[in-house]
Amino acid sequence: MTTYTICVFTENTIGILNKITTIFTRRRINIDSLTVSETERKGISRFTIVIRHESREAVEKLVRQIRKVIEVLAVFGYLNDDIAYNEIAMFKISTPIGAKPLDIETINKVYKAWVVYWHLTYVIIQKTGTEEEIFEFFNYIKPHEILEFVRSGRVAVSKSPQTLVDYLPEAEWEYYM
Amino acid sequence: MEFNENQTQTTEIAEQPVSVATPELINGSHALIQSLIAEGVETIFGYPGGAIMPVYDAIYDYQEQVNHILVRHEQGAAHAAEGFARISGKVGVCLATSGPGATNLVTGIADAIIDSTPMVCIVGQVGSHLLGTDAFQETDIMGVTIPITKWNYQITNADEIPEIIAKAFYIAKSGRPGPVLIDITKDAQQKLMTKPFSHKKCEKLLSYRPRLSPKEDQVEAAAKLINEAKRPFLFFGHGVQIAGAEQELLKFIEKTDVPAASTLLGLSSVSVDHPNYVGWLGMHGNYGTNVLTNQCDLIIAIGMRFDDRVTGDLSRYAKQAKVVHIEIDPAEIDKIKKADAPVVGDAKKALEMLLPLVNENNHETWRAEFKKFDAIEDEKITQPELAPTTEKIKMAEVIRTLSDKTKGEAVIVADVGQHQMMTARYYQFKKANSFITSGGLGTMGYALPAAFGAKVGAPDREVVSIIGDGCFQMTIQELGTIAQSGLPVKIIILNNNFLGMVRQWQQLFHQKRYSFVELQNPDFITIAKGFGIDGHTCGAREDLNDSLDKMLASDKPYLLEVLVEKEENVFPMVPTGACVADIRLE
Repeated sequence: MTTYTICVFTENTIGILNKITTIFTRRRINIDSLTVSETERKGISRFTIVIRHESREAVEKLVRQIRKVIEVLAVFGYLNDDIAYNEIAMFKISTPIGAKPLDIETINKVYKAWVVYWHLTYVIIQKTGTEEEIFEFFNYIKPHEILEFVRSGRVAVSKSPQTLVDYLPEAEWEYYM
Repeated sequence: MEFNENQTQTTEIAEQPVSVATPELINGSHALIQSLIAEGVETIFGYPGGAIMPVYDAIYDYQEQVNHILVRHEQGAAHAAEGFARISGKVGVCLATSGPGATNLVTGIADAIIDSTPMVCIVGQVGSHLLGTDAFQETDIMGVTIPITKWNYQITNADEIPEIIAKAFYIAKSGRPGPVLIDITKDAQQKLMTKPFSHKKCEKLLSYRPRLSPKEDQVEAAAKLINEAKRPFLFFGHGVQIAGAEQELLKFIEKTDVPAASTLLGLSSVSVDHPNYVGWLGMHGNYGTNVLTNQCDLIIAIGMRFDDRVTGDLSRYAKQAKVVHIEIDPAEIDKIKKADAPVVGDAKKALEMLLPLVNENNHETWRAEFKKFDAIEDEKITQPELAPTTEKIKMAEVIRTLSDKTKGEAVIVADVGQHQMMTARYYQFKKANSFITSGGLGTMGYALPAAFGAKVGAPDREVVSIIGDGCFQMTIQELGTIAQSGLPVKIIILNNNFLGMVRQWQQLFHQKRYSFVELQNPDFITIAKGFGIDGHTCGAREDLNDSLDKMLASDKPYLLEVLVEKEENVFPMVPTGACVADIRLE
């Protein structure tokens, strides 16, 4: 199984998420993670979809099918080496009175994770990193009771020097903000 | 679907801002019809109902410009629009209400996407304030049709109508054609536009840019393979007809002297009389075309997509051959069969560019190999089928007699099953753009409404539909539409009292366990007469000639029922999962 990151640039319209995901569903390809947000250009959304697949050929065919969706402006399939990528995880960790205290220094310095919310009986820690780094931290923090854990899913940017506008059809693309 | 009076409807109508109307502002429904007219629409196949009533009210005012045809079931509208589109090359338009009206179109839409048929379906939707409330006749038709449309869009604001309709037609017709569904909420139909109506045709979109002219280097690479090949074999599909590339294809075939075979939907693009035409491909195609697929050294595939009914077992399909694949949809390249020289573009454009680059050639010896197989097929299958010794009539003789009587120039609309394969085998197509059938989806019940649509789209041509007794009963109600129009659609039912193709498979692969395939049929002629359509039954071979003459001579719709052999099989046959070279002759 190889991990592929598929970046899809689309017009930001209602229902486009459905139009994209149904292409995966029909081919029985499970989505590991998916994030969507508007890009630096107004009206253009960026999907980052992570899948694992045995066949590169099947992923290439999938990419070509996604390109057929009318609202899709561009699609790219990447291997991990082609991209800089990260995700955010949040951990709600139980800190009841009398329990072993958290080693905040190790959490900060070794794991580059930060406490973003303090409560009497728990804290919320935020950790940014690759999936592996997040799971490393997960294993470290596991002995403290994990009340909740969530990952954002991957966001990724290609290592090529091109800009988004290079991928897009020629037009005046207004900035997002 | 019938209109149901309810509280919501009355409130909505009361909310119409009639009093503030300025003369030049029109409501969404009028905008819709005017946009359709601006797109050149002359014919709409439709069925009214609650959520589309404002549009129907508007159509009332445009009856001189737009011919609305009232079908008997929305599925009929969809297939009629397909038949119309396939014969005329124009976009087929259907109109239906929300909920069941829209879902009844679904089979036709699924059929149109897989057979690349341009269609715009306009459906009503509940008022935008009711969306998501499980309102009366509310279905999430956007969600339902995402996987089966080329594009779909929901209009909730009357001002959007002209632009979206223009976009819908552009998308449906350009590139690889397909169905577009536009869902219009009732309030968008009723409300006045806030600006004066103006319709501008859509000529390009940022996010959708079909490639018409192929890249030169792709064409050059293809030409090189074609010029080097010793045993090149050309396959042409539906893409040739869609692109209107029949003349270019002919020039190409004649210059390169390659043997050419058709897919099911490619039939009629090259005349059966042409010396380079060697037959058709696939499960029930010809003997030579299938066997020699595995002996050629180059496949030149034009506007076809290597359907599994063409390839059989892919792991044993043309492994020895290189492939030139000319195709407008880039997603089809390498999807099934790896292309050594892909050419992405419109078939007509691609052939025009290819023609000066290919060498004149002589492949007579190679082409002669097909004749050897033809002789075997002729002796073992064709001749016995055409001159049977059975008491009952066989399908093949009906088709061939019809073919002779119509000089191979009628528009033939075949339904799905044995009669469809027999039609493809025995009708001798001599005129381009003459065969309409549901290829990819295999939609039983397609032919009656599609034949009607084709007759509307080509009123000057003889349109004959060939339908099985099973298929006929799936859309039988469209006899009403045909009768009301008075158009002389000719209908032949090949009645074997069986779901013949399923029965054939049960005989061959399920030890003759005939599981729910025998039909107790109604008296079709009485039914036709009930609709006001003339017809008669032919049960004896000696009456076949006169029966067909009588049907063809009629200037009204006519139903001819032919009682055929109950248990005949279509051969040759490449059984599912078999290799094309292992095609069975019995």
